[in-house]
Amino acid sequence: MRLACPCCGERSLDEFTFLGDASVTRPDPSADDAAGAFHAYAYLRRNAAGPSDELWFHNTGCHAWLVVTRDTRTHEILGVRLAQDVALARTGNRKDVRETSA
Amino acid sequence: MPEAMLIETTPFARNKPIAVPGLVVAYRDGVTVASIAAYREKAVALSDLIEATYGVALPAPGRRVSSNAITLQWSGPGQWLAIAERGQRGGAVRDLEAELKPIVAGLAAVVDQSDARGIVAISGTRALNVLAKGVPIDLHERAFATGDVANTHASHIAITIARLDDTPTFELTMYRSYATSFTDWLRSATAEFVHTQPR
Amino acid sequence: MSRGTSYRLANGGAIDRSRPLSFSFDGHDYTGFAGDTLASALLANGVRLVARSFKYHRPRGILSAGSEEPNALVELRAGARREPNTRATTAELYDGLDALSQNRWPSLAFDILAVNSLASPIFVAGFYYKTFMWPAAFWEKLYEPMIRRAAGLGRAADAPDPDTYEKVTAFCDVLVVGGGPAGLTAARAAARSGARVVLADESFALGGRLLAERRTIDQMSGVEWCSSMTNELAAYDNVRLLPRTTVFGAYDSGTYGAVERVSDHVAVPPDGTPRQRLWRIVAKRTIVTAGATERPIVFGNNDRPGVMLAGAVRTYINRFGVAPGRRTVVFANNDDGCATIADLAAAGIDVAALVDTRSATPRHIADLAARLGVRAINGVITDVEGRHGVKRARIRTTDGASLVVDCDLVAVSGGWNPNIQMTTHLNGKPRWNDAISAFTPGDLPKGMSVAGAAAGEFSLTACLAQGTRAGAAAAAATGFDAEPIDVPTTGDEHVAISAFWHVEGSRHKALVDFQNDVTAADVALAEREGFRSVEHLKRYTTLGMATDQGRTANVNALAILAKLTGKSIPETGMTTARPPFTPVALGAFAGHHRGHDFKPSRLPPSYDWTREQGGILVETGLWMRPAYFPRAGERDWLDTVKREVETVRRKVGICDVSTLGKIDVQGPDSIALIERLYMNGMTTLKVGRARYGVMLREDGMVMDDGTVARLGEHHYFITTTTANAAKVYQHMQLARQWLWPELDVELASATEQWAQYAVAGPRSRDLLSSIVDPVFDIRDATFPYLAAAELTCCGGVKARLYRLSFSGELAYEIAVPARYGDALWRRLVDDAHALGGCAYGSEALGVMRIEKGHVSGPELNGTTTPSDIGLGSMASKKKDYIGRVLGGRLGLTDAERPTLVGFKPLDRAKRLRAGAHFIARNAEATAANDEGYMTSAAFSPSLGHWIGLGLLRRGPQRLGEVVRAFDPLRNEDNLVEVVSPVFIDPEGARLRA
Repeated sequence: MRLACPCCGERSLDEFTFLGDASVTRPDPSADDAAGAFHAYAYLRRNAAGPSDELWFHNTGCHAWLVVTRDTRTHEILGVRLAQDVALARTGNRKDVRETSA
Repeated sequence: MPEAMLIETTPFARNKPIAVPGLVVAYRDGVTVASIAAYREKAVALSDLIEATYGVALPAPGRRVSSNAITLQWSGPGQWLAIAERGQRGGAVRDLEAELKPIVAGLAAVVDQSDARGIVAISGTRALNVLAKGVPIDLHERAFATGDVANTHASHIAITIARLDDTPTFELTMYRSYATSFTDWLRSATAEFVHTQPR
Repeated sequence: MSRGTSYRLANGGAIDRSRPLSFSFDGHDYTGFAGDTLASALLANGVRLVARSFKYHRPRGILSAGSEEPNALVELRAGARREPNTRATTAELYDGLDALSQNRWPSLAFDILAVNSLASPIFVAGFYYKTFMWPAAFWEKLYEPMIRRAAGLGRAADAPDPDTYEKVTAFCDVLVVGGGPAGLTAARAAARSGARVVLADESFALGGRLLAERRTIDQMSGVEWCSSMTNELAAYDNVRLLPRTTVFGAYDSGTYGAVERVSDHVAVPPDGTPRQRLWRIVAKRTIVTAGATERPIVFGNNDRPGVMLAGAVRTYINRFGVAPGRRTVVFANNDDGCATIADLAAAGIDVAALVDTRSATPRHIADLAARLGVRAINGVITDVEGRHGVKRARIRTTDGASLVVDCDLVAVSGGWNPNIQMTTHLNGKPRWNDAISAFTPGDLPKGMSVAGAAAGEFSLTACLAQGTRAGAAAAAATGFDAEPIDVPTTGDEHVAISAFWHVEGSRHKALVDFQNDVTAADVALAEREGFRSVEHLKRYTTLGMATDQGRTANVNALAILAKLTGKSIPETGMTTARPPFTPVALGAFAGHHRGHDFKPSRLPPSYDWTREQGGILVETGLWMRPAYFPRAGERDWLDTVKREVETVRRKVGICDVSTLGKIDVQGPDSIALIERLYMNGMTTLKVGRARYGVMLREDGMVMDDGTVARLGEHHYFITTTTANAAKVYQHMQLARQWLWPELDVELASATEQWAQYAVAGPRSRDLLSSIVDPVFDIRDATFPYLAAAELTCCGGVKARLYRLSFSGELAYEIAVPARYGDALWRRLVDDAHALGGCAYGSEALGVMRIEKGHVSGPELNGTTTPSDIGLGSMASKKKDYIGRVLGGRLGLTDAERPTLVGFKPLDRAKRLRAGAHFIARNAEATAANDEGYMTSAAFSPSLGHWIGLGLLRRGPQRLGEVVRAFDPLRNEDNLVEVVSPVFIDPEGARLRA
């Protein structure tokens, strides 16, 4: 399998490390139901047969965490985004300016 | 004061040179290296400042640029490696961490990496054939032009590889502790070429 | 000396008759020519019996001329290079080739285990499942060794493989799999456009079937055309030709695996040259032009030596100049019979009859037969006679007559199966094509196209046209202009077929899967016993599960099953082909990575000195860490470690801790990130100070421990354990990039920048005072326990000094840029010796941390909470951190949990072992009574006896109690006293000295 890292281009699987489901977000630890929410966050997974968002680390590449959208039935890669961009968009922060304009 | 300075050991000191027709393997010692990581939303200002100081801006992802004073190599999102010769004319010694820190204060984190890396240049008509035995990315000139740089691995050893010219010459940077295993691999990858001349 | 009569034709064939090669088979010497395979050379020497079958030990000859061969499997080479199950049909002949038949005893002609054939009623489908059921104890001692001896898979070499293998990655725009007419034209069309092309073919010569047929293309003979194509392709810079290379698998994202037999065609690889090379080919477009494989027809004794695929007969005649027999009966269900009788006649080989299963022989075949004087029969061969070689064929004509024809060769063609394996490796389902009675590719993986016989186009005209078009289309799809296209021209041919699979009614075994000895009767039995799904049939009978992947068997079996179940073949289905297409040596997959080079090693700065001293190294992750440094007169490692520990405790010792992970943290939000990563508070850490810290996983378990040093306002430097360095770095990046992307903090690995040495023991400050430059004051008052500073040493060398202790002694860690690591180490060793000190390794370090009750890897094993290991009180109550919420779960805060305590043997002479389980003194040693286990044990030189750390239920409340430390693995059962885990200096007076 090959993943197109947004920074490095298309690379073979052996450059990456898999972590898991990217559709779960760390709950608010101060909420009343934090214990239950954290249990779901740590353990409960959809395990979808179809497109799934997953966290991968470009281990021997740019050290970016990536959100990879993969069809679990075919291994087709439907998209790869920088996890930081996804996370900032999720939290309502504007996109970070990390690259030079060059 | 205590007695003289400690003697330096270069990363490839224990590794015999590799001599193969059609290939030049040169270990690059005596460099000062610093990693530069831009703080949030500071990359543009940082690049402007670097350009004003050294005459070259921070390169785009996957690229490397050089001026007389410095080589700047992209290494990750918002991250670069600065490389220069340590020894200067007149016996002065350059330390990029010390040099850059005051310049980019507040804009970027600077960390000395001068001793963390082993650097080797692999050049010649057989360079592509040898590197294909360990490096899993396309190094063909159509895919990896002069000035391109990539983080990847060579025989499971993490490297940064840059194409310096169309000889072709590739410069590989790896963590220092892997230097001997890297050389072991390089020696086995070049073994089939030892007794024959390139076409 | 050559034995037997020569079957070499007087002329013809793409062999080099000026280069004779000697070889031996089963100890007899023979001669062949350059360009021969072992199979063609054996046939040329009249050797027809070459193997015994897997289960019934039936005599076998050569069935095919390619990689689909199920019969002619031999042991090639001798000694350390011995290689079992090599197909004689693909083994290139070289001078001195040495081959043995396998699966026979005492000899090929007289094989005792051929009695299995007599006992065949018990060896039917599923016999393993039925026969060796009882008693269970017999399995390991009797059944398995017996089956292993009887089941012939040849013998692997007993010694390590002396050859080298390598792995290469290649990238191309267009990969062409197979170098027959379609593949050559595809490659040429793509190459002319400028696209980067890789063309791989199994054989040592490109051309595929063209090398085996008498055809004309563009006014050239097939062989001439192939060599002109090869020359043109070889001249392009943008083309890589890979002969002797099998593309064995299609993987995700356009990645293909291929194995190149670099030196298999010579006795010993030339110096420096690998035996085989594994290619990982990444292709934007792939064209499968893998050709087709001929099917046998199932009839009685159809596996006898002398029954050969018709296409193989033509190959041996036309490509190798060999007569596979003297007198032939051709048996076909398709127009291929036509070319076969023509080629046999042209080679001067008698054709006794052409048996065509079709009720009416096509006119062009009848005419040809008449012209050649060949008797054309509409009917079937029911069986053949001749145990070690065909002697006659029994024929039943369409109108019911029986006749017997003398012959020594039966050329059989049941039609051709397109080689669609590459199209199914990624789950593509093939489609049945009635016109050719075969499966053709169905939905293709992204970027793949199929052309020629692999696509079910069996005429040469179609192959050339389709190949050219596919090559041009693939090039165009990758951005290259392949116009105009140039399609070579050739004559017409007939390729009609009428499906025919199985001649029923023979009382002899009719083989479906030759390699695994599965008969038509076995298929029927499986069906009767309910194994009607094709996947069940396969597993029950082992059909198609041999190393040939059932390439000559699968479709015949499906057809037989389909008839039995009354379904069509497509309804019956097809099993999934998986890589590898042909067997691949494990050596090729390993490549460079074996033995010493199995994985890379990381060498710490003290490595050279350690080797010079004869120090012992231990692998920790990839690092080679010095474990201990034996001296003359020391009896064993225990002696050495004892001496090293005592020296540290009394004087001073130095230890290389450069392998600890080091991560530089900078940025305005550094402390915010660090607070969320560590369970203990860090905000109060002042510049110039260091603190021990514990990181948890989100589930509340301890992940790692280490130190955090604050070097500036927004500058921290953290260390991790050696083993977890990469994991912690990833975890920190995840926190920074994903969990809290708003934090403005940058991380940089600095592990390799610094050579870092622990200097420990009462004289450590004395030792360092001669190292650290005198302008820096390291006296206790100014540089107390947990101080950290950037300073210089040895006359201006940049350095960092930390006052940290893992040993429990007055101790420091000093770091210098790694280029000075070797020199500083030698300097420290010399200075330590002068003070009565020594170097110590990870073993002594381990002993001292156990004496001190410090946790390490065995306690931080992913199943322990901070409370379990006595660190619960460190956790901050003022902040959130990773692992806090889930760490508060009931199960993790249960007071009954096994918790860290120390242990001393009641009998002080006893040795303690990590792994022993704790059981109450008078309780029975059962799992139900298990109360925890010993995590670490060491001989304590300071106490003079063995001590241990362990996790014991309610441990801290049971100090003074005596429990059993029960170790059933080593058969040890000791009584141990529960004590505090801190054996030495519980007040910490030494480290604050």
